[in-house]
Amino acid sequence: MTKEIVQLWELDAPPELVWQCLTDTNILSEWLMPNDFSPVVGHEFMFHTRPRPLPPFDGKVYCKVLEVVEGKKLSFSWKGGPGDGSISLDTIVSWTITPAGSRTNLLLEHKGFKGMKNYLAYFFMNVGWQKSIRRRLIETLKTYEATHAVN
Amino acid sequence: MKPRTQSIDPFSALADASRREVLRLLSHKTFTISDLAANFSISRPAVSKHIKLLEEAGFVKINEIGRERYCILSQDGFIAMQEWIDYFDSFWKLRKKKLESVIRARMTEHENS
Repeated sequence: MTKEIVQLWELDAPPELVWQCLTDTNILSEWLMPNDFSPVVGHEFMFHTRPRPLPPFDGKVYCKVLEVVEGKKLSFSWKGGPGDGSISLDTIVSWTITPAGSRTNLLLEHKGFKGMKNYLAYFFMNVGWQKSIRRRLIETLKTYEATHAVN
Repeated sequence: MKPRTQSIDPFSALADASRREVLRLLSHKTFTISDLAANFSISRPAVSKHIKLLEEAGFVKINEIGRERYCILSQDGFIAMQEWIDYFDSFWKLRKKKLESVIRARMTEHENS
């Protein structure tokens, strides 16, 4: 079960090229999505993809560059919603580059699916929905409240 | 993927404190809508509206028995949330493949030049 997304990509390319692939708007369009990205902290940009019915998502990803460490790290916010102006998905994507000889380890972290980390763990790590789940729901709702209070 | 009937974003459904309170109450036992409303200071129509939204988001099912309407928890909403994360997990895995082919093309270009 996935709570938040963490993937390690072992790439057969030097770190400089990987960094270029992450930060050059044209190359980024080739493999990720059409965008108006620029590696400048505070820069606001968008990705465009196909809409999705459930949960409703209009295919527009609203982003803002949060951190740029030249050649090493890049993070940006990743927000989306059904298209009525509301934002239901409020997450952060981070890339971390670690050189490995002539190759590169690229760490992807996509985090911040609100409250889900605590919420979903309880629901899906256990098979019995009806039996033990009620007690756990109480606990997880508390956790959810707590994480929201922090947010 | 199984067809689902819910039409409301589960994340939005859980964003409201009253609706989370409804789920918390339902986690103890089944309630009728009137009994649920008795637990809130807001009006009964307002509570009904929250329940309706939770139903549309797949967190609650309403059973009509005689004249009473009973609310019970449903797991569809939770499954929808999980599917949303799974969607991004697959999304990124696919992008990795695309990035690898972009890299291969550029490395070959580099070697040939």
